Amino acid sequence: MMPELPPVAESWLRDTLLRRAHPLLLSFDAGWCLRDVHGDAAFHGFDSGDAGRALRELQDLFIGLPLDGHQELPFIELSNGRSAHVHLIADPPGFHVLLLDAEEERVQQRAQQQLGNEAVLAGHEKSKAIGRLQEIRNELERQRASLEEANALKNALIATLSHDFRTPLTSIFGYLHLLEGPAADAARARQALGAIRRNATYLFTLAENLLEYGRGEAGALLNPGVLSVDALARDIDDMFRPLAEDKRLAFEVGVERDDGSVVPLFDEVRVRQVAVNLLSNAVRYTAQGTVSARFAWRGGRLRIEIADTGIGISPEFRERVFKPFNRGGQAGSKGAGLGLSIVRRLVEQMGGTLALDSAPGRGTRFTIDLPPLASLPAPAGLDPAATPWKKDFDVLVVDDDPDVAQLLEALLLDLGFRVRVAGDANAAVAEVMRRPPDLLLIDVEMPGLSGNAAVFRLRSNGYRGRIVTLSATSTGEARDASLRAGADYYLTKPLNLDQFVGVVQRATASPVGA
Amino acid sequence: MRTHKLCMLGDFGVGKTSLVARFVRRTFSEKYLTTVGVKVDSKEVALPDREPLKLVVWDIAGRGTLDAPGANYLRGASALLMVADGTREASLAAALELLEQARRDLPDVAAALAVNKLDLVERWEVTAATLSDLRRELPVFETSALSGDGVEAAFAELAARLAT
Repeated sequence: MMPELPPVAESWLRDTLLRRAHPLLLSFDAGWCLRDVHGDAAFHGFDSGDAGRALRELQDLFIGLPLDGHQELPFIELSNGRSAHVHLIADPPGFHVLLLDAEEERVQQRAQQQLGNEAVLAGHEKSKAIGRLQEIRNELERQRASLEEANALKNALIATLSHDFRTPLTSIFGYLHLLEGPAADAARARQALGAIRRNATYLFTLAENLLEYGRGEAGALLNPGVLSVDALARDIDDMFRPLAEDKRLAFEVGVERDDGSVVPLFDEVRVRQVAVNLLSNAVRYTAQGTVSARFAWRGGRLRIEIADTGIGISPEFRERVFKPFNRGGQAGSKGAGLGLSIVRRLVEQMGGTLALDSAPGRGTRFTIDLPPLASLPAPAGLDPAATPWKKDFDVLVVDDDPDVAQLLEALLLDLGFRVRVAGDANAAVAEVMRRPPDLLLIDVEMPGLSGNAAVFRLRSNGYRGRIVTLSATSTGEARDASLRAGADYYLTKPLNLDQFVGVVQRATASPVGA
Repeated sequence: MRTHKLCMLGDFGVGKTSLVARFVRRTFSEKYLTTVGVKVDSKEVALPDREPLKLVVWDIAGRGTLDAPGANYLRGASALLMVADGTREASLAAALELLEQARRDLPDVAAALAVNKLDLVERWEVTAATLSDLRRELPVFETSALSGDGVEAAFAELAARLAT
């Protein structure tokens, strides 16, 4: 208990506290009817023409709280913008509400908290910025290493090509000269034509590989489609049997299929490149015996086996043969050394596996296992080749530019889809929630809710259909942001129509949720 | 008119004050000003086929956990709008922790979650999958106090729950 103060000190203390706290005591009956006012009503905003509003706001503070006991609510911001400690003092049958000014205290607390909070928020942003910088640094390092490798490969390429193009061309010109000469009998002509075919096939493969190599590690988009293995086997046979027979090799091509209830989709061009490269090597490096190709369906997966009885690959060279411009793996090897590196890259792009089984002097067997890029159901009577994708898909196009929306609508209608159009992201979200489409094509940069925000909202609400975002921004960061928001594909404007059709094809062919 | 107390709860800097400003006054300020204590606002909410009700919105100073003054402010509340910042995943954990703490004193309180700053969705740490899972527990709204997206819907959801 504080000892009684001298009257002068008590008076000074009382005056000081009253001056600082500006107490206002409002007395009410049990029904919140104001009975009496003591103190500085003007200071707390209770003297204006809208005092009724201030009193209603005061009443709102005690919603759900008992009025027959003491209540304390610190730091309440009043309608005049100042802060007060608000006390309810029971005094049956009524009660009093006491307001003590806390604005000065609030200003001090806010200044302290503001600094602390801003420091924490800045720390968070800083750590994120450091993370981004680290990513950029790593990316730059990757690019530097990649450029160094590219430069080394370029030098190797130039050195290799000068040899690899000239040798077969020299052979071709030489045999053509022989054929044009007067003494070319039938046997020599057949031999010359065989040599020309062999060298032309080699040049064809070399050119294909160079084009593929030029596409870079990322490669082009895969194009799922119905693969006719019979047609592929026929082409392979037409292409390689003459070459094998020229060397008196046995050549076998086989196809095994199951009666799958789905039609698996593969990228036919890529599959063909894999087979051609492996067979090209097999024929080239086999002096006697057999070269065989076998295509087998196993539960919707495609298995390709290319085997030969050629020179084989030593264990120490098995990794090296997959590196570009490395030709040391096989004695007497020739060629640009691109074939196997491209085979491996293509197989990886298609999500498959590649196994190599080889023994020097006994031959080599490559086994490729490819999962389908997508599958279509194969109902009775359906010709899979006639339906490269599901044309009954329902597509929602969202773009605030009516010209772009109409263009997309026309393109998709031409492709056989059912199309709806929305002009902004909010309308799109409502439309998707009302009737989810199979595919959503949505512009990223729209006024109001952005395309990315709409995509995020749809994903968080459980929409699992395919989403393609379209944007005028072509940076990797913008693409990543869109994919992070939940898009499956990101296309940049102006649209490359082939790419657009390819992406729509992939989006509608691949199973939802895959 | 029925009146209900609705408390905004969440970590500091998530945008509670901005959401209230957008909901009550349709305004937005870029400037961050930390809240000390409480700012109380009110707004009448129209409901389809029902009497309108008045929401008294308590904008409570941001905290990661519920301390004694914070718990004191919650007394008498019938609804909670939990607020997280989509660009800070930790703020979502804080909002969920605060909800768990608040429900100990207010077991029947109506609650919804507003994940704010949708206008910065490209920088969000919170994922759509996380929110999709959370929707099984409570209503979730992606909001932007800056643009207003999702703000009315979040308050309307709580008002509708209070009216039933």
